[in-house]
Amino acid sequence: MSTGTVDHWNPNLEEQCSGLHAACESLEARRKHGLNQFLEAGFPGRKDEEWRYTPLRSVAEGEYSSKLSVEGQLPGDDELATSSDIRLVLINGRFREDLSDLTALPDTVKVVGLSRSLETSADSVVTDLNRWIPLVDHPFQNIGDALLEDGLVITAEGNVDARIHIVHGQDGSESAGSSHVSGLIRLSGGAQLEVLEEFRSRGKSLANIRWGMEIGSGCEFRRQRIVRPGCDVLYHGTRVELGEKAVFRDLIAGSGARLVRNEIHAILAGPGGHVDLLGGYVSNGDEIVDHHTTIEHAVADCTSREIYRGVLGGDSRGAFTGMIHVHQDAQRTDAEQSNDAILLSRSAEMNTRPRLEIYADDVKCTHGATVGELDDDSIFYLRSRGVSLEEARRMLVRAFTAEVFEELENEALKEQFIEQLQEAMPTAVDLRQ
Amino acid sequence: MSAHENEEKMILDVKDLHASVEGSPILNGMNLSLKPGEVHAIMGPNGSGKSTFANVLAGREDYTVEKGSVRYRDLDLLDLDPEERACEGIFLAFQYPVSIPGISNAYFLRSALNAVRRYKEEPEVDAVDFLQLVRSKMELVGMDEKLLQRSVNDGFSGGEKKRNEILQMAVLDPKLAILDETDSGLDIDALRIVAEGVNALRGGDRSFIVVTHYQRLLDYIVPDHVHVLSEGQIVRSGDKTLAHELEREGYSWLESGHAAEKSQEAS
Repeated sequence: MSTGTVDHWNPNLEEQCSGLHAACESLEARRKHGLNQFLEAGFPGRKDEEWRYTPLRSVAEGEYSSKLSVEGQLPGDDELATSSDIRLVLINGRFREDLSDLTALPDTVKVVGLSRSLETSADSVVTDLNRWIPLVDHPFQNIGDALLEDGLVITAEGNVDARIHIVHGQDGSESAGSSHVSGLIRLSGGAQLEVLEEFRSRGKSLANIRWGMEIGSGCEFRRQRIVRPGCDVLYHGTRVELGEKAVFRDLIAGSGARLVRNEIHAILAGPGGHVDLLGGYVSNGDEIVDHHTTIEHAVADCTSREIYRGVLGGDSRGAFTGMIHVHQDAQRTDAEQSNDAILLSRSAEMNTRPRLEIYADDVKCTHGATVGELDDDSIFYLRSRGVSLEEARRMLVRAFTAEVFEELENEALKEQFIEQLQEAMPTAVDLRQ
Repeated sequence: MSAHENEEKMILDVKDLHASVEGSPILNGMNLSLKPGEVHAIMGPNGSGKSTFANVLAGREDYTVEKGSVRYRDLDLLDLDPEERACEGIFLAFQYPVSIPGISNAYFLRSALNAVRRYKEEPEVDAVDFLQLVRSKMELVGMDEKLLQRSVNDGFSGGEKKRNEILQMAVLDPKLAILDETDSGLDIDALRIVAEGVNALRGGDRSFIVVTHYQRLLDYIVPDHVHVLSEGQIVRSGDKTLAHELEREGYSWLESGHAAEKSQEAS
């Protein structure tokens, strides 16, 4: 992209970066690396294949190049049924212990703000960051590194089954800006952990969030993410490594965000591991939703499943890029990928790019993609039972996305996910005319 | 209105109905009258227009009505949307019921029932009352209650799908039920159960149109009238013995009969 567009970002980043407290040399080095990378590369343009369907022009223009104020308020209401008393609140990228509730946290689970652990044990934290979020040339990761300051470090060890609700609040109501969160989640000794990550936003803001995760042997990590209506720009990156018989179950649901880029890089590094990536979304207006996943089957006998489903109305655009990389030794891999979309308007658009790289010979890999309209036979079936055309469409669209949430055990939460998507549904009848 | 007039009143009166699909004519001047409470069987070879007729009555938009009229009670049926027809008491049991993953059978049935009730300006049924109602109807068709929580027809066997159709019929309580090849794909046991369900719903003013290729179903659902459809027209009508005649002789006589007619016209 032309250097003109990063004119706002570069001086701002340099200034913000140099203003940060340098707790140790390795931290300093990481920030410098990110800054220099960004100064050099800036934001990718549309010609960059990896960013083809995530136009960053509006982001590059610099509106978000300042950090959001420390003073922000948590937008939106607490209405999600979480069945969790453990609640972590981040506002504008800062972990707010004062607004969080850790009283129910079991001894075996530790939660520390990243900025605090950088104060107390900078060297080892940066070593962990370097291990679990390795440096990559990536615009948001580069910015995240340059402004590395706060986030979360969560560890769960041993016989524990806990559930944590993380709320990311973005308050850009005073002035536009960005926030940057780096997080580490590490499970070991057979731990079971479930996290609900909720994104709430007001005003113009860019949330830049990335996680590095280690799911140790025999551990299971379940994550649900919900992008609440009103979010502006959200970049969310996850890199997760799984040990033997480890399980990662991820679910993302969302509607009403201007631009969402969800990246997941999952590495099955121990035999018997399983990765589940599910997503359901509704988009409207000129919203953009881009799911970008890579699953690496590095060893034998692992399974993975991906199901993404979107309902797109207005001029909105969806994209799915799903790489399944089966290494030479990863025999008996079973990988399943599907991406389906329903377009409710003629100007909505869906781009699907499955990518399979298979180097082992005893492998089962399936992928399927459909882009279509609602099924006429199903509509007639419902109408022939007395259900109105509009209601029939609503029911079918609801059913299409609800299937993604079917396995969610928390019934109340499931209902809320489905409801949020249902409410965001464009009135199909108007759009078809 | 006198009692006499009431008796003579038709529930359905089809006159000179012509319908086509994508430009090819399927129905070519269909005439049929049903009185309340009657069961009419429509038989005929493949491609004679049986299913088209059933679907045109239910309002499927794939078919274009070119000509003719359909009077249903006091209504011009062809003027109504499919959902209005359903709410007015027309029910089509599908030959191939659609499966709808993600919508539970219970939710589907309750949505349908409440849509019909809203149309009739009756209060909606709540979950508890609905469950009570649907349970009693499930017994009628010998259906496993587990199928209520499953997605509509999703992974159902052929027999379960057809039973599900009859269950919907029982719940929606139509005035005119149209069974489109309900016997297709059923073994004899499933057929008997489905037929028993239908028979339990017979009586009173409810009328039936039973569309079938084979006479077999009519051993269980005994019709008052049997019509033979060929090339989009009713070519013969009779009582239930006509079905047995067809069973013995097949439909081949139609071809020769028609051929004879045509040659007469030509001469």
